[in-house]
Amino acid sequence: MGLSPRRHATGAAALAASLGLLLSGCSGEEGGSGGDLSAPGPEVLENLDAPVEVEFWHSMDATNGQVLDGLIEDFNAQNEGRIEVTGSFQGDYDTALANHRAAIQQGETAELVMVFDLGTQFMIDTGQTVPAQEFLDADGYDTSSIEGALLNYFTVDGQLRSFPFNNSTPLMYVNRDAFEEAGLDPDAPPATLAEIREAAERLTVRDDDGNVVRYGFGASVYGWFIEQFMARAGVPYCDGANGRSARATEVLFDDPKVVETVEWWKDMIEDGLAVQIGRNTADGQAAFTSGRAAMTLESTGSLGGFIEQSDFEVGAGYFPLVEEGDPGGSIIGGASLWINGEGHTEQEVRASWEFVQFLLTPESQSVWHAGTGYLAVNTEGYEGEEARARAEEFPQFAVAADQLADSRIDENTAGCMMGVMSEARAAAEEGWETALTSDTPAAEAMSAAADGLDTSIEEYNASVE
Amino acid sequence: MTAPAPPSPAPPRARSERFGETALAWGFLAPSLAVFALFLVYPLGRTVYLSLHGNDIIGRPDRFVGLGHFAEMASPEFGQVLLTTLLFTAGTVVPGVAGALAVVLLLEGVIRGQRLLRGAFALPFAFSVASASVVFTVFYSPGNGVLNGILYRLGLDQVPWLTSQEMALWSVCITTVWMNLGYGVLVLAAGIGSIPREVNEAARIDGATGVRLARHVTVPLLGPQLFFLVVISTINALQSFGQIHILTRGGPVGSTTTLVYSIFEDAFAYSTSDFGRASAQALVLLLVVLVCTAVQFGVIERKVHYA
Repeated sequence: MGLSPRRHATGAAALAASLGLLLSGCSGEEGGSGGDLSAPGPEVLENLDAPVEVEFWHSMDATNGQVLDGLIEDFNAQNEGRIEVTGSFQGDYDTALANHRAAIQQGETAELVMVFDLGTQFMIDTGQTVPAQEFLDADGYDTSSIEGALLNYFTVDGQLRSFPFNNSTPLMYVNRDAFEEAGLDPDAPPATLAEIREAAERLTVRDDDGNVVRYGFGASVYGWFIEQFMARAGVPYCDGANGRSARATEVLFDDPKVVETVEWWKDMIEDGLAVQIGRNTADGQAAFTSGRAAMTLESTGSLGGFIEQSDFEVGAGYFPLVEEGDPGGSIIGGASLWINGEGHTEQEVRASWEFVQFLLTPESQSVWHAGTGYLAVNTEGYEGEEARARAEEFPQFAVAADQLADSRIDENTAGCMMGVMSEARAAAEEGWETALTSDTPAAEAMSAAADGLDTSIEEYNASVE
Repeated sequence: MTAPAPPSPAPPRARSERFGETALAWGFLAPSLAVFALFLVYPLGRTVYLSLHGNDIIGRPDRFVGLGHFAEMASPEFGQVLLTTLLFTAGTVVPGVAGALAVVLLLEGVIRGQRLLRGAFALPFAFSVASASVVFTVFYSPGNGVLNGILYRLGLDQVPWLTSQEMALWSVCITTVWMNLGYGVLVLAAGIGSIPREVNEAARIDGATGVRLARHVTVPLLGPQLFFLVVISTINALQSFGQIHILTRGGPVGSTTTLVYSIFEDAFAYSTSDFGRASAQALVLLLVVLVCTAVQFGVIERKVHYA
């Protein structure tokens, strides 16, 4: 043996030390030079000696990344000698935000960053970015064609804080073939939990031994769905009118509507009508595309993949209501674009805004929507050539836009603004999963999860006040 | 290569020579000392510093909290994390080492194709944690997993591999044992190959075959390799992250959240940036690894026979 055990025992110390290194690497010294957080006019880009470089940190890879790269290329070609945008993939949303935090500490933020919805309050609290509203006001930019539900989410204290870009909304997907086979109308998918159960009873297929071959329903335990169920029921997710009128101090996902949903979910599994999926969304998607579950809940962004991967006809309907008579709002998900002001020149800030304007044009949005399945942030994008071709091929795409257009715009559909929103979503999933995997009643599990967040919320609020 | 000569041939030759040698030694040691200080001493010191502080929202230490983070660990939740860590370690080390030993001993009885089989059993070693875990997500997938498909065809009950609090940890253990098996087979196969032929022949002449030969001759002679495997697997188990992250993300309901995963969650997941709490837990992990290793050296190594 070439390796002696003793040498390797020092691995213990090395491990802790490397963890320390990892952690300390992310906690350098205070950074960020002064810079005023206002929107410069177009004149700052006149008489440039060299093109202004804009680094754009995003979380788009695979197909979505390619579409984004295409848009960046087009923009650079149109702005040759003036602005040069470089896209930089930073990992998934959580990782990208962690990278951004490290960059703030080092005073080296990218000019433009993509941050997911849950990070919105955090981004406001770091005070690094120029509020989107400043650009709109300075340029007199018209937002009337931008999707209202998106502006609603990213507007805080009457100010649009960031630019919606890659956004989606969850839908209910159905296996049309299974529906027809069971004598159900695939064009009128169930709209409430009770209706889903009814349909599931007919869609579930058992073999001679009573084993379930096909489940009526199956979706992952994904905290975003709780947010959506609450928006559709017209109840706030956190206090302070969803954190919009005052800083949120507690989460309200132990609401009776949510408890009812979780109980329903558990009964569906226990009665063999729904397959139990964990938190891994890929498992929920696989259960649907393999034909194992005839109905599922997923983002609009999954439609393209669903159609491609399943050997049955995929149908889409509105995300279900908890109960008939619920107001039926709709919340959005996804990310928005933030222009960093702190530590950046006027030229860089303006150049970033020019690029964002390019992304928000109907032409870009048509390409973006057709290529990725994300919503067209600029609703005129749906009229674009690419978007129309796609709508013709897959009429299901219209459902998402309709669902949003049908949504009421109020604080309950705006979503909760809270610094620890990401933790809140994880806690909601934990409460939900506790109810599904133990004897703990749903009400108890959800309220324990909600209470468990109090300390985090308190600590966060204390550290930003 | 040429070493720099002492600058001047001063009269007290012996002394200056010794000084020169010492300086030379330090000179050669300096690079590794610098690396050691930079990548081990400094981070360790920094971890201690961070563990005593609270963080602002972007993770900068901004207030001294003393031992507050350590005091918080006296909670049932953290107890659960430690228990999970312990179960995971036991659940991967014991079957991992025993499994590798069984494979190697059984392969001893195979004359033809032994090398090929050894190679086959060692193959999991070539998989990265990420790719092995992704493959196992397909096996375990709750909707249409491969394993449940096989069970169904055999007429057996479905297993909630990753979706039940009771089962998930063992599913992660199975994946880990499978991944570690290859390395264990490699190490033990090398060990068995180094046992002198005469020893086996002598034992055979004395009438020891099969189980007796294995139990009284082969296994004791594999002592150093087995001990090495136990120590390494324990440290690996305590450090495991990839398979947990990919298979369960610590769930359901924290049932697979080990100490390392808990550190990750506090420091990097959910946009929390709680480097203080994470650092405090990292120090606890250091302690756990040190204690485990010390105990293994103190207890098990005494029984190891080094040839």
